[in-house]
Amino acid sequence: MRKFTLSCLAIIISLIFGALILWLMGKDPVAAYMNLLQGSGLMEKAKYAARQNMFTDFMSFIDALTPMIFASLAVALALKGGFFNIGVSGQMLFAGFCAHMAAMFIPSKIVVVIVGFIGGALIGALIGWLKCRFNVNEVVSSIMLNSILMYLITFYINTFYVNPVSRQSKAISEAARLTLSRFRWEGLRIDIALAFPLAIIMALLLHWFIQRTTYGYEIKASGLSPQAAYYAGMNVQRTALMTMTLSGALAGLAGVSYFCGYLASIQPGVVPSMGFDAIAVSLLGGNNPLGCVLASFLITVISKGSIYMSSSQNIEQEIASLITAFILTFAACSAIFAKKGRK
Amino acid sequence: MLDMIIIDGLSFSLPLFVMAIGGIYSERSGITNLALEGFQGFGAFTGAFAAVYLSGIFGASSDVPYYASFIFAVIGGGMFALLHALLCVKFKADQVVSGVVMNILAMASTSFLTKRINTSFFGNTANKFMLGASSRITLPGLSDIPVIGAVFKDIYPFEIMILVVAAVMWYVLYRTVYGMRLRACGDNPHSADAAGINVYAVRTVAVFISGCLSGIAGMSFAYSVSANFSPDIYLGYGYLSIAALIFGNWNILPALFACLIFGFARSGGSAVIQELGLPSSYNDLVRILPYVLTLLLLVFFSRHNRSPRALGQIYDKGQR
Repeated sequence: MRKFTLSCLAIIISLIFGALILWLMGKDPVAAYMNLLQGSGLMEKAKYAARQNMFTDFMSFIDALTPMIFASLAVALALKGGFFNIGVSGQMLFAGFCAHMAAMFIPSKIVVVIVGFIGGALIGALIGWLKCRFNVNEVVSSIMLNSILMYLITFYINTFYVNPVSRQSKAISEAARLTLSRFRWEGLRIDIALAFPLAIIMALLLHWFIQRTTYGYEIKASGLSPQAAYYAGMNVQRTALMTMTLSGALAGLAGVSYFCGYLASIQPGVVPSMGFDAIAVSLLGGNNPLGCVLASFLITVISKGSIYMSSSQNIEQEIASLITAFILTFAACSAIFAKKGRK
Repeated sequence: MLDMIIIDGLSFSLPLFVMAIGGIYSERSGITNLALEGFQGFGAFTGAFAAVYLSGIFGASSDVPYYASFIFAVIGGGMFALLHALLCVKFKADQVVSGVVMNILAMASTSFLTKRINTSFFGNTANKFMLGASSRITLPGLSDIPVIGAVFKDIYPFEIMILVVAAVMWYVLYRTVYGMRLRACGDNPHSADAAGINVYAVRTVAVFISGCLSGIAGMSFAYSVSANFSPDIYLGYGYLSIAALIFGNWNILPALFACLIFGFARSGGSAVIQELGLPSSYNDLVRILPYVLTLLLLVFFSRHNRSPRALGQIYDKGQR
């Protein structure tokens, strides 16, 4: 509960900070923040384009939210086990890429999910294996893997799989895409994120897994103190490997729901920034799976709503990531208060 | 072609090296520093802003903006690093988390500010500061030696700067009282404290230095790799230099060796692609080389590495 209060405090301070900047720029902070909510479909906009209303906005917000939940769960699980999975971006990219390749042969949604799950897990397992077997710092190895995978996939896309018009990868077929794009219903066009229920189930499942099972207990114990876990007779190495594999698998799900759902194609040359934002989200959510869902909701409101805010207020869209960065900074600072409370 | 490999390799590995020295300072004092990436970006941002601003005053042909940009990059990087020090030393935040946070903050704030400053100061909406091409120096005589003469050919002025700075930094770390105290703080802060050293102050200064040095590196990349400052400067070079310092076992000279390997792997790879006449998209394959090398080196050397004993531990005076 204390963590929850601290997270809220960090959010409030950051929002005040952001408001201050907006005010200094000569904009109206209240209107800007309302734009964030309107852009996410949580408040009524002044006017809508044809076949759109608040509900369609909200559904595309959910579409953006889904990969964020998976990604933050991946970070949270790894942190529980004492690992800092900064490689979520690379795992997402790899999983998305594998799913794209698989969908070329078997255009099916289930195949996409399974391939993404396995693809992410493989990269996660590789990082865990390097850590256990060779004592390679997982932060450095994941960052190296991020770059390696990004360049490899960029090379492949640019050489064999490019859409010459958009300069992106070719789009995944609609039969395999995890988002029903522009689905017609009651005269509206809605984007339906099919993976969203899976994200919620995963969050609940992970909560149960960490709190109620032996494996979860071992992960927590190894994360808090590997030595103590070792003396208690746990197989710390195996636990570490399992933690990173599962974390990678979750990141893989984030990857497919992002690259084969929210987006239909992969942009070459960039690592998705969602993997890094997910660290923020997970910290904010206190590394608790359910907290992650709440925090994902908030951060997605900021990032998704910022598009509408920047167009209607004529503000640089970058301010959204600045506010996210503030939230993260204050959340990191709040560690000292959390520790004081425990004593 | 060999000349090209040497010239490009050096101009890439020396900035990495100076950043790695910064990392060594910070980590030898006991503060894990994943924030180098952010420091170099922020330093490059302040430096590039100064360069663009000053070239409006002094004219584009003047040398003043070039050298001033490095001074401002040092100041900017150092100031930004103080934030990391504040979080790690004063607020006792987790150092890895703080490092990552610093990187995200640097990325978000510089890309926001670059756009903002461009609109309000210079009246355009670009997200980058254009820098002029850096002048290059060729040492007469020495550069005529076959093969190794290339080392003295087409040198960026910052390369000489970096070598001077590196020599000073090596002397300070291994031959002065401050350097010894810094290393003591990283190995056993409690006994350092008992000996009358102010651990908090030493660590703060060390992180500050790492920011200053990263600023030099960032500015060098801005001049050599891209000739502008844009958010594209966050390409993970900071992490490469962290890998270099880990591979160098937290010592300055072995880290230089690692940086040279990265630099030559990169320039050698591009030269091969050019020589074979492959399309430019194959460059992406070559870019992987330094990262793969890092991973492999880490696989072989991580086991025998001995990091500073108190690295990453939060120092709390009351906890003895």
